[in-house]
Amino acid sequence: MEDFEPMIVAFACNWCTYTAADLAGTSRLIYPKNVRMIRVMCTGMVDPQYVIKAFLEGADGVLVSGCHPGDCHYINGNYKARRRAKLLKTLLPQFGFEPERLRLTWIGASDGIQFADTIKELVKQIKPLGPNQAKLQMVI
Amino acid sequence: MATRIGFYICHCGINIAHKVRVDEVAEFAGTLDNVVVARDYKFMCSDPGQEMIEKDIREHDLNRVVVASCSPRLHEKTFQGACARAGLNPYKFQMASVREQVSWVTRDEDEATRKAKTLAAGAINRVNFHEALQTRRVSVHPDILIVGGGIAGMQTALDVGNSGHTAYLVEKDTTIGGHMLQFDKTFPTLDCAACIGTPKMVEVAQNPHVVLYSYSEVTEVSGYIGNYTVKIRRKPRYIREGVCTGCGECAKVCPVTRPSEWDVGLGERKAIYRAFPQAVPITYCIDKMDRAPCVQACPAHVNVQGYVQMIKMGKYEEAVKLIMEKLPLPGVLGRVCPHPCETECRRKEVDSAVAIRDLKRFAADQVDMDALPIPVIEEKDEKVAVIGSGPAGLTVACDLRRDGYQVTVYEALDKPGGMLRVGIPDYRLPPEVLDKEINYIIRMGVDIKTGMRFGRDFNLEDLNQQGYGAVFLGVGAHECMKLRIPGEEGCRGVMDAVAFLREVNLGERTCPGKNVVVIGGGNVAIDAVRVARRLAADRVTVVYRRTEAEMPAFADEIQGAREEGVAFHFLTTPLEILSKDGCAAGIRCCPNELGEPDAGGRRRPVPVEGSDFVIECDTVITAIGQKIDTCWDTAECTLECAPRDRIQVSPVSMQTSRPNVFAGGDVVTGPATVVEAVAAGHRASEGIRRYLQGLNLDDTRPQFVAPDDYECRWSEIPDECTPGLRAELNHLTPDLRVRSFDEESAIFSPEVAQKEAERCLNCGICCECMECVNACEAKAIDHTMQPEEIEIKVGSIVLATGYDLMDPRPLKQYGYGVYPNVFTSLEFERLSNATGPTGGRILMRDGNGGFEKPPKSVALLHCIGSRDVNHHEYCSRVCCMYALKYSHLVKEKVGHDAEVYDFYIDMRCFGEGYEEFYRRCQEEGTIFVRGKVAEISDVPRRPEEKGKLICIAEDTLLGRPVRVPVDMVVLCMAMEARKDAPEVGRIFGVNLGSDGFFLEEHPKLGPLNTATDGVFLAGVCQSPKDIPDAVSQASGAAAKALSLATRGQVEVPSTISWIDPDICAGCQTCIGLCPYSAIEFDERRGVSVVNEAICKGCGSCSGFCPSGAARVRHFNPRQVFAEFEGIMDAVSALGV
Repeated sequence: MEDFEPMIVAFACNWCTYTAADLAGTSRLIYPKNVRMIRVMCTGMVDPQYVIKAFLEGADGVLVSGCHPGDCHYINGNYKARRRAKLLKTLLPQFGFEPERLRLTWIGASDGIQFADTIKELVKQIKPLGPNQAKLQMVI
Repeated sequence: MATRIGFYICHCGINIAHKVRVDEVAEFAGTLDNVVVARDYKFMCSDPGQEMIEKDIREHDLNRVVVASCSPRLHEKTFQGACARAGLNPYKFQMASVREQVSWVTRDEDEATRKAKTLAAGAINRVNFHEALQTRRVSVHPDILIVGGGIAGMQTALDVGNSGHTAYLVEKDTTIGGHMLQFDKTFPTLDCAACIGTPKMVEVAQNPHVVLYSYSEVTEVSGYIGNYTVKIRRKPRYIREGVCTGCGECAKVCPVTRPSEWDVGLGERKAIYRAFPQAVPITYCIDKMDRAPCVQACPAHVNVQGYVQMIKMGKYEEAVKLIMEKLPLPGVLGRVCPHPCETECRRKEVDSAVAIRDLKRFAADQVDMDALPIPVIEEKDEKVAVIGSGPAGLTVACDLRRDGYQVTVYEALDKPGGMLRVGIPDYRLPPEVLDKEINYIIRMGVDIKTGMRFGRDFNLEDLNQQGYGAVFLGVGAHECMKLRIPGEEGCRGVMDAVAFLREVNLGERTCPGKNVVVIGGGNVAIDAVRVARRLAADRVTVVYRRTEAEMPAFADEIQGAREEGVAFHFLTTPLEILSKDGCAAGIRCCPNELGEPDAGGRRRPVPVEGSDFVIECDTVITAIGQKIDTCWDTAECTLECAPRDRIQVSPVSMQTSRPNVFAGGDVVTGPATVVEAVAAGHRASEGIRRYLQGLNLDDTRPQFVAPDDYECRWSEIPDECTPGLRAELNHLTPDLRVRSFDEESAIFSPEVAQKEAERCLNCGICCECMECVNACEAKAIDHTMQPEEIEIKVGSIVLATGYDLMDPRPLKQYGYGVYPNVFTSLEFERLSNATGPTGGRILMRDGNGGFEKPPKSVALLHCIGSRDVNHHEYCSRVCCMYALKYSHLVKEKVGHDAEVYDFYIDMRCFGEGYEEFYRRCQEEGTIFVRGKVAEISDVPRRPEEKGKLICIAEDTLLGRPVRVPVDMVVLCMAMEARKDAPEVGRIFGVNLGSDGFFLEEHPKLGPLNTATDGVFLAGVCQSPKDIPDAVSQASGAAAKALSLATRGQVEVPSTISWIDPDICAGCQTCIGLCPYSAIEFDERRGVSVVNEAICKGCGSCSGFCPSGAARVRHFNPRQVFAEFEGIMDAVSALGV
């Protein structure tokens, strides 16, 4: 279990969290290698099936991260993401995934430090959950 | 055609290559499906790098390109351009960020290389599914919006205006100019800020292409680059722009003073004001909040604040005129009103309410009603009859007469005044006061016929025949209720209070008996008992069935009665009036205790059985309530009534069941206060006016009272408001009072009244006394102005909203607000400015808030709130330089012997001529101390520190603590983002940086751009900067905006939504989700359709579409899935 390195997929909005990740890079903030970012224009376009697909493909954790409430580049896309995340959290156990594997955060464009901290924290949280068993168990 | 992918990984010098083994990544990529070429290169973004891609596309027939390098936010467009040049659609390109997301954030080389490979695999797999998209171009509106009229905004507006394009300049303040115009001199040249700033302001005002909206705010922005629609709310100035000549006569007569915002509270301005003499536009402005709580609380909505201010100014006639707009009887109400206004007075939050009623009485008594001019009346022919000359009837008569109607008042008694005349004893309301005020109404042309009882001497039919168009019925409630206990009827010495008071008031002054008992707990009971006391009754007693707490009578009246020796029997119910020889001899009573509260909330008296007792007396006066005399109510002439014979009326128009008959006052409400009757009279007169003009009676009138869910905006109560004592009337001593019916209290002296009026906090700021209207010869003032909303279309927007100076109060160690001679930098600017509160002399405050003598020594404290981890980490950039300027100004204005101590951390003199200025100030003798002041103290340790402000600091060059006593301290406060920056940012789609200022697109290469295309930044709203930098940036922003405007069209991203009509089920879920209303439903085909001109590509629709028909181009599920499938496959093969 000690050696388990979770694989985390992050759906990051172009305007805030992706920019914050760039800032974390420019500021040379070292954070765990476990995250792979997928750029979307807005968290509002993150279809629930993206998240489920990521888990089915074997992701151990999924992060959806957008602009702070009220700051959405597209007025209110992040609120839609929030509603979907809440719904997904209730649905995930039915698919055999712990709801803690999904995380929704708001990381603004200038929050580089917060981005790095969020990744560190997330890796720490997901490690004890162990590898995502779904892919192994499910016959697709 | 087979997919042929070219893959390139950039070394970025060593930025990527020092952590990622780029050759290994290229080699790995070469093994992936469809990859034809995989290379690494030192600088992919360089010309040779781009040419390499172009060459490969041509030679290897590539139809997809992937570059792994920096963030796509930096160079995506660069590489897309390279593809396009080689004939490849730019959307068939994908980028993997292996610098920001890999080499810069990963410590281990193996891990970094693995991560880079997986990201490359994701991008390569994704690009397989990319589709060619057509570039979209939209036209650009030629006009430009600039928000903020400071020096940056003015510069942008002028640059735009001079190009011939229209610049809309929106400024929220009353004048343009911004902070710069508040300054005195500007460093390092010592140019006078006004000398170089005001010509710019004038230029803005005169430039034919600049449209200035001052005192306005942008409320909403919609659209996209090149095509923004902007809503602007123009706040009402209450003065017409262009008509106002700026002569300032209005400000001279305005009674309300406020701290001047322009002088940062050091000086005062009037409620009608302009920021400073050179303001642009020159138009004055009236500062108006919601109407004061006293005005709202008054049932008749008398302009309380207005007349209190007029009393303050000693303009008593004007005060009375203001009162009489709403109250025909100022002297009467000044005595008997229960003053609901005082209950709501906000002065109570400081000490106690302003003595509003007593001030009204004072004003009324100062004015000779017989000499008061009658307003000009435009005569009308219609006749109106008013029945009853009480307060309601007189109000209706007065209102309608002022409108020109021919009004006749019918009064049953021999003298007019109704309950005012016969219900209120003379010691509370002297009859002369009432006579004078009724005479004024008669002088207005109202005909009063006395001795005409309605129902006995005439009826409604008679009035109709005499040609009265409308009738107002205000006959009051003059009948007393009965006790309904044995012995009440046919016994001498038993009378009702209303009849008793009526007789006494009409001149019958014989004592009813020696031992008088009054039954009841209302005001009438107290009046009766006090009158009986004045008629020399030996013993007077009030019998009331509950306790004093439940008595409806006013507390001061009860107190007055008690002082006059009135006895009270509480918790006592009369059961029977005992008589002897046909005369009253006593009352058998039963004691009570209080039970459960009744419907009205008062606790119900419950008799205690079996403990009856007798109160001996020879006179019993009953005052347990009044009812309405309905003798006029006959079969031919009837009106619909509510319970207790009260007349049923519409609450808005006071119309009764007969269309031409209106009613108000006690006859509708039952016994109530005078001011409520006046209010009812106003409603009725408006109803009658509308009835006679044939208008809709129940039209909604302007709502005066704020609805419950609305928080009223009133002026803030100033911190320095010192509690004081409320002026009280001088009452006669009780023993003098009971000897006569003379008025029991004396009015204020003019000095006391004016001082009392000064306690008013002017909650509504403008008191609407209309003195300015009278003073304005240009007739420019219009108090009824409303906010105006306008809509403009522009192609781009420049934000130049400036900064706020940090509030020094949280930094308690510097004693701002505690020590009067600790100033902020902006306050010092105003002190030094010729248009400031001291006329440009640098003076210290005396103890009373005035300014007296110049300081002998001044300390300048740098970096207060800036470069401070507890407040703002950033450097405010201008403080070092303006502190140097202050040191020079002190030496220049106070004298070269004045000591100036400059406490700095580091001197940052980076600009042109700055270092030279520093040297000059050093030579002028300023003492520079390297160290930040930790605390300002006024506790002396040495004799020379006595009476001084002591700066306690560490001199870090000497390495020892220092204590420097000075006369004046200037805090160089941090510049911080505007308090409303988050809100403004949201309106324009601009994010805030961690410092709170607006976030630019790129700190080095895009300092003027924002994340929203077509919205640019200028000046300090982006970060602290000095005037030259702000002006340069402003011109830069103008150039950016103009380059868009002159090109006339702009490329917009093609990554917008598309709904596949073959899949769409027509559920229309997407229509509700779209934040831009860009989706419409095509009824004919039964599918939803995206309007491409409006769609911005957020993908809210695609994130939810149940059938998967809605997709964002370039971000469709197939592409996104492909990306993480690529990543996951690589992770499975290589590890995380």
